[in-house]
Amino acid sequence: MLTLNQVSRRYGGATALDGVDFVVPENTYMALLGASGAGKTTLLRLIAGFEEPDQGTISLNGARIDGQPSHLRDIGFVFQNFALFPHLTVAENVAFGLRHRAHAPLTNEAEIKDRTDAALQLVSLTGFGHRGVSAISGGQRQRVALARTLVCEPRIVLLDEPLGALDANLRSRMCDELKAIRERLGVSFLHVTGSETEALTMGDQVAVLANGRIMQSDAPDTLFSHPGNAEAARHLNAWNIFDAGLCRGDLGQGPIAVRFDQIDVSAKGTAPSARPSLQATYLTGEFNGPTALSFFRAADGTLLQVVDHLSQPRLPDLVEGQGYDLHFAADALRQFHGAA
Amino acid sequence: MTALTTDTPSNTHSPAELREKKDRRRAIALLTPGLLWMTLFMVLPMAMVIYVSFWTQTTFSVNSTLTTASWERFLSSATYLGAIWTTLRIWVIVLIATIVVGYPVALFIGLFVRNKTLQTALLVACVIPFWTSFLIRVIAWRPMLGTEGAINVILMKLGIIHEPLTFLLFSEFSVLVGMTQIYCVFMVGPITFMLGRIDISVIEAARDLGASFGTIFRRIILPLSLPGVMVGSIFVSVMVLGEFATAASLSGRKTNLLGNIIVSQVGSLKWAFAAVAGVVLTIIITAVIALALRLVDLRKEM
Repeated sequence: MLTLNQVSRRYGGATALDGVDFVVPENTYMALLGASGAGKTTLLRLIAGFEEPDQGTISLNGARIDGQPSHLRDIGFVFQNFALFPHLTVAENVAFGLRHRAHAPLTNEAEIKDRTDAALQLVSLTGFGHRGVSAISGGQRQRVALARTLVCEPRIVLLDEPLGALDANLRSRMCDELKAIRERLGVSFLHVTGSETEALTMGDQVAVLANGRIMQSDAPDTLFSHPGNAEAARHLNAWNIFDAGLCRGDLGQGPIAVRFDQIDVSAKGTAPSARPSLQATYLTGEFNGPTALSFFRAADGTLLQVVDHLSQPRLPDLVEGQGYDLHFAADALRQFHGAA
Repeated sequence: MTALTTDTPSNTHSPAELREKKDRRRAIALLTPGLLWMTLFMVLPMAMVIYVSFWTQTTFSVNSTLTTASWERFLSSATYLGAIWTTLRIWVIVLIATIVVGYPVALFIGLFVRNKTLQTALLVACVIPFWTSFLIRVIAWRPMLGTEGAINVILMKLGIIHEPLTFLLFSEFSVLVGMTQIYCVFMVGPITFMLGRIDISVIEAARDLGASFGTIFRRIILPLSLPGVMVGSIFVSVMVLGEFATAASLSGRKTNLLGNIIVSQVGSLKWAFAAVAGVVLTIIITAVIALALRLVDLRKEM
């Protein structure tokens, strides 16, 4: 179990992490979702030991690891750009850790070869060992980077946007494979990503990092349907967040959130009186294939989005620039207390 | 379909051929100045030197009757063969010394200084000595190394020695020191360049896999910087093998390099003999570069 306790990291005047409390349980695929610049990579670098926190403690299975040199931490790190050794072959890349680690290096060539082959097989690259790393494709490089890390049997694997450099097709295939590999090994993965779909697909648990803190850490379906605060809701890219004062009916003040797919649209003045509603102007629509997004502008300028599924259309024909009533079930809204 | 086909007149060239022709013309135009220069100032003089090395040398003049006398005298003289040996020995020692002194400097600038501006500033600082003339840089070693020089005075004041050290100046030692200082920067530059190109995350990855700094240096940094060492070695080799000025001003005429022989033979109008030494020197330099290029495939690495 990896535990971060009140971890802070500043760069000059800028605060990257501001008292992060975070737990990655044993045998879990943890996805860490955050916008670019939110400090995701910094967090991983602190755990791996490439940098040290200004404050706070990091411990693995109860023992403190901050302050330890990174090559003795026994933590796997998969880099966004793969960071393969350009002068070595695929097999030499994978065997590097076994052969050259400071703690208990392997000297038996037969054993090194067996474990290298097993690792390459795990990532479906059997037979690629003799190739140079510049002679394989991006997806294959990704797997080599993964095999190189996994072969050392680290106590936890950190993946820094591991799919960012791959094209969309490859990305979805690697998603499944990463999950399967992790389940086979039984080791925890901490996967950092800026894509909410990736985080929700991959994670047994998803944590949202914003403003230098962990905003929420929950199972993906819980997080998606019950975001605990406005920041978490914003990162899921599925919630409209607006001021309660815009709505008809007594909803009080402060930010509230309603999911894109739970808002209905009717002509101006025809919203059912039992449902909370607000007025907004239709801006434009966006066709995405199976779904269509419609954009509205509320009276105070807030942008609102409504999702319509092609198989079950529920929106009327919309005219750009015209006002409509947006309404939703009273139990569909999430109300956040305290700071937004 | 008929509307889409256009008839091209068969007697003219296709656009692809025209374009290829134009590209070839441009390539030739770009090559011409270099080729002309090399022909006029390298190939022709080289041929001339080889030709002159077979001329007949009398005490004060030289005539174009062909003979191998100069070659025979050169290859049977202990002095001249000794000069070849001295040249090679000094070359090897200076090469090693520039690597030993230059590599750590390059490692610091290229890898430990992550700020690009500071990197450039430090490299420029390495070049500052070159703002004075070559001769001044060499001669400046005299007040440093002489019997009354800075090093001897300091060591005597500190009581470490009681007699001035005489091997410091006008010896092979002073030539080695002078050449190492002058040519070191040609080693630092290329190595820094190669080290600067190493992706820092590759080093972090090695560390994450459990390798200590020593191992990372041996297994990752050193192999990736070797092409830089090779390029630096070629620079240093070419300059050291053709050297004469440092030896002339710091060795007190005790160290004779092939370059010094050429200078003194030309000075006494022994053109044929100087030509022989010149050809031998060129052969040695060519062999050294060929060897270096065999060791590292620069086209692949650069």
